[in-house]
Amino acid sequence: MSSFRAPPRKGENFELAADLNSEYKDKRKDAIKRVIANMTVQKDVSGLFPDVLKNMQTDDLEQKKLVYLYLMNYAKTQPELVILAVNTFVKDTDDPNPLVRALAIRTMGCLRAEKIIDYLCDPLQKCLKDDNPYVRKTAALCVAKLYDLKPELVIENGFLEQLRDMIADSNPMVVANTVAALTDIHAAAVAAGVPRDQFPISTDIVNKLLVALNECSEWGRVAILNVLARYTAEDAGESEHICERVVPQFQHANASVVLSAIKVVMIHMRDISSENLSKTLIRKMAPPLVTLLSNPPEVQWVALRNINLLLQKRPDLLSNELRVFFCKYNDPLYVKVEKLDIMVRLASENNVDPLLSELKEYAQEVDVDFVRRSIKAIGQTAIKIDEAAERCVNVLLELIGTRVSYVVQEAVVVMKDIFRKYPSTYEGVIPTLCANLDELDEPEAKASLIWIIGEYAKKIDNADELLGIFVDTFTEESYPVQLQTLTAVVKLYLQKPESSQGLVQKVLNTATKDCDSPDVRDRAYIYWRLLSTDPGAAKAVVLAVRPPITLPRTTVSAVLLEELLGEIPLLASVYHKPAETFVGRGRIGADTVQQKKAELADDRIATQKALQTVAAGQQAENLLDFDDDVQGDGQPSGLAATTILAQTPAAANLLAGTSSNPLDDLVSIFGGANLNSTPAAPAPANGLGGFGFGASPLAPAAPSITPTALSPQPPQQPAQGGQDDLLGLF
Amino acid sequence: MALDGLIILDTTGRPIVQSGFHSFPPAYPLLHIDAVNTALASAKRPSDVDPVIYVQGLNLESPSACCHMKRGELRYLCPVSGDVDPLYAFAFLQTFVDILHEYFGHLSAETLKDNFDIVYQLLEETLDSGGHPLTTSPNALRDIVLPPSLLHKVLSVAGVSGLASSTATSHPFASPIPWRKAGVRYNNNEIYFDVVETLEAIVNKNGTPAVSTVWGRVDSNCKLSGTPDLLLTFSNAQSLLDCSFHPCVRLQRWSRDKVLSFVPPDGKFKLMDYRYAPATASAVAQTSIPFMLRPTVQIDEHGGSVDLTLSSRLTTRSMENVFVELYLGDGASGASCTASHGASWSYSPKTQTLVWELKQIVPSANYNIRGTFSSTAEHPRPSRAFRVRFEVPQYNYSAIKIEQLKLTGEVYKPYKGMRGSSLGNIEWRW
Repeated sequence: MSSFRAPPRKGENFELAADLNSEYKDKRKDAIKRVIANMTVQKDVSGLFPDVLKNMQTDDLEQKKLVYLYLMNYAKTQPELVILAVNTFVKDTDDPNPLVRALAIRTMGCLRAEKIIDYLCDPLQKCLKDDNPYVRKTAALCVAKLYDLKPELVIENGFLEQLRDMIADSNPMVVANTVAALTDIHAAAVAAGVPRDQFPISTDIVNKLLVALNECSEWGRVAILNVLARYTAEDAGESEHICERVVPQFQHANASVVLSAIKVVMIHMRDISSENLSKTLIRKMAPPLVTLLSNPPEVQWVALRNINLLLQKRPDLLSNELRVFFCKYNDPLYVKVEKLDIMVRLASENNVDPLLSELKEYAQEVDVDFVRRSIKAIGQTAIKIDEAAERCVNVLLELIGTRVSYVVQEAVVVMKDIFRKYPSTYEGVIPTLCANLDELDEPEAKASLIWIIGEYAKKIDNADELLGIFVDTFTEESYPVQLQTLTAVVKLYLQKPESSQGLVQKVLNTATKDCDSPDVRDRAYIYWRLLSTDPGAAKAVVLAVRPPITLPRTTVSAVLLEELLGEIPLLASVYHKPAETFVGRGRIGADTVQQKKAELADDRIATQKALQTVAAGQQAENLLDFDDDVQGDGQPSGLAATTILAQTPAAANLLAGTSSNPLDDLVSIFGGANLNSTPAAPAPANGLGGFGFGASPLAPAAPSITPTALSPQPPQQPAQGGQDDLLGLF
Repeated sequence: MALDGLIILDTTGRPIVQSGFHSFPPAYPLLHIDAVNTALASAKRPSDVDPVIYVQGLNLESPSACCHMKRGELRYLCPVSGDVDPLYAFAFLQTFVDILHEYFGHLSAETLKDNFDIVYQLLEETLDSGGHPLTTSPNALRDIVLPPSLLHKVLSVAGVSGLASSTATSHPFASPIPWRKAGVRYNNNEIYFDVVETLEAIVNKNGTPAVSTVWGRVDSNCKLSGTPDLLLTFSNAQSLLDCSFHPCVRLQRWSRDKVLSFVPPDGKFKLMDYRYAPATASAVAQTSIPFMLRPTVQIDEHGGSVDLTLSSRLTTRSMENVFVELYLGDGASGASCTASHGASWSYSPKTQTLVWELKQIVPSANYNIRGTFSSTAEHPRPSRAFRVRFEVPQYNYSAIKIEQLKLTGEVYKPYKGMRGSSLGNIEWRW
């Protein structure tokens, strides 16, 4: 700080100080501008504080604004000097010019200096009742800022009641800002654990808001719509009324207004019993959603994420609009990826032909990541629509024919999923796949092909030769390939014992002696003992019939989906993660119930620590997927825990304040890959991860898996590659 | 729910303008700037970076996200903390960029630095320190923040600053209509409508469009006195779908009668956006592409050849400023072509793109370019589609016309003008 230094005798600040004290008006104004310019490039001009302050009293509004700007910047570091300005501030709130009044009250609210605050209340009282709407609306927001610093002052002075009265203001802009201020106060109160609802919403208020909705600015509309979303309607009639009044907002030019309006309608639609009305409302949602796609890519991305969520709730929403989601090659990757996912979601018998020809086109694009996702999408389509499976397989075969390495590898992975869905249907393509054996160098592709060979060992004449290649290089392969080789050889042996006795001996020997992965070693021992004690039982276990896989209709559970739909278009809905479940996610998931009793601060830190762990490494992916699958399979534990948690102040605090960030955490880890929405996202290739991942939905408590644990499960597991190892077990 | 602030970065990623961040630690904006710059630096293509980036906070309690977008040469950042609507952030950023455009025209780091005092005033007026957007309507803003003008500069140099500032009205926001200021007076009352339609299409190998959509927008420049209440009727309003409107348009009226009833803002504004769908045909009806492309692309080892013929399908109008681009794939090192009709071509080594530029394409004529390209990759993988951009002036795909403009609330008879133009952005697969 320069305050305890002697004033500089030369240099820029010295000159500025001289100019600030000049007798000429323009010279002074120009000097202020230069001071601000220096301030904005982070040069220290705090030493000029007294000199700048002298220029505060002026008729020139622009000059006043610049001085205020300076004050705001240094109020925090020099609070004792700001006190000198208080008088001018208070005087300015009585200025005949409403701009000056508003500017003064706004700046006082921004200063965030303890000493100023005590002087703020009286002028604020006056400004809230000002004749000019601009002053009133500025004052309304100032109350929220005051609440942030000293809530007791707001309550003592009755500002809250005053704000609630201002909802009936004749000027819609004032209403909008009042609503925004009350919402902020409400959020701050919830975060601080204040039990009383600081912004109760009554029918009366709702009616006033619905009137103001059509007349205020876009920002005001968003604020009002958010309040409407929080309101619980008295009866179905009121819900209908709200929906009808909100629907016209679908046509607003601002995407944020559109999505907020959609959220309100989605929420209040729950109470509407008339099926016809719901259908009409849904139909009206489609055009604005399509329009959002003509926006810049950033907006498109947010819109697409939300469309993805809406489609999970209402699959019929955009059933005729597949073409809108066709990707252009210069779309950013994050947009393409979302579009792909939505295209698969919209796939039906009627549109599968254009869809497949598009996907085939994408699979020949330049961008490797996108190509892989496109091929995955073909596989997902095949699994989703039985009638189209054959066409999908043909497209995949054509792609394999291009002999581009990564295309072939991805296609092999996808073919494995198709085999799992339609066992014994497409055996004819196995020779083509095997012909590309040499091309495969990625563990996932190798493991997939080995799985196929093992599964259909009976029908492949040279299965022992093919598997022999992998057994020879067993110790050089990655763990997933080792696990898969092991299982495939055992399957081969059980089907053709005469020709593969030697091979199975060799692989069991290598796996138990030379392999450093405990997973591979343990599995080898399991097989070995199984085979040596009771070959019949081994056959029953290893070759047991497994339920075919299906494509999950939703990536999140029904309850969670409802919750997320209520958060459109907040970050939570963009990331498809509820803000507060993040507390229960990852490491501390198990003891959420104890957590709710924990100290507020501790809780926060624990959460953040957990998140850091989550962010730290690959393991995170498994943890998070793990949780999702638990919910996806409808097991109550995860979700129930969530709901309990949501009711605790600590969780609410997180919701209001810091909670969404874990979401970002995730996104930063995975970049454009939206892990939840793409069920076939590449699962981690390490054996441990894959194992835990596959096991978790079935029996999270005990990873000891028996065929009986598997059979009662509804065939709802996503088609993830990581499950292979597990399923391959049997 | 609020925005934490706004930061503008120059081309090198350094901040040139940033809002106060009064309720945050001083390092907070820096963290966001760093996070964005790091993400951009580590991405293969900067445009592929997610538009919302997670930012680890200073301490455990304050992680946050950063919404960012690039417009022109500058990048705009909006840090948010808490469960915030990212669209809200993007909408605000876009609005702020539009306001800057209004005030300064072309935007560059230099312009912003030269006018920093105005930029900061704008920032103060548009974004409250609590994170709520305030006044963003250009009409209202002009009342409280004076745009830079030559007169203004001359006056201040001459030392008549009192005069210069007197133009700011002393009764701002007196108007009951938030988007229109009160007491506007013009000698000639006129209103102009600019209809710009963009054809976005993807064409398959066989020349049939996989998807083609016409997006239209109506920009307006209104110079009408008083508080005019307008009723605008289009000749073919039925074929305008998925419309979105400026807040001034009475939405109920549109959904009932398909007419636009509104009190316009003063000056330039965007009246509406729409999607055009031919009214006659069924749901799959698509606008036809106004040209035909016959591409032959041959790929050899370390290169390939391109032979491209473009013929206009328009019979009376000519297309202008046609750009045909082909991304030649990673490793492309150069190209050499001959273009007919003296058209120019170029190869940009930075983007590895071959560009064929045609100033004008006359009706029903054929244009050709042929040539070869080389690549360091053994099997070059050029993009699977040509990107074609073009303009057709004074033409609209939808043939939209103003049927009637009725004015109530004022006594004068306004002059109205309408101008159409069409753009195209087509992907043609080969």
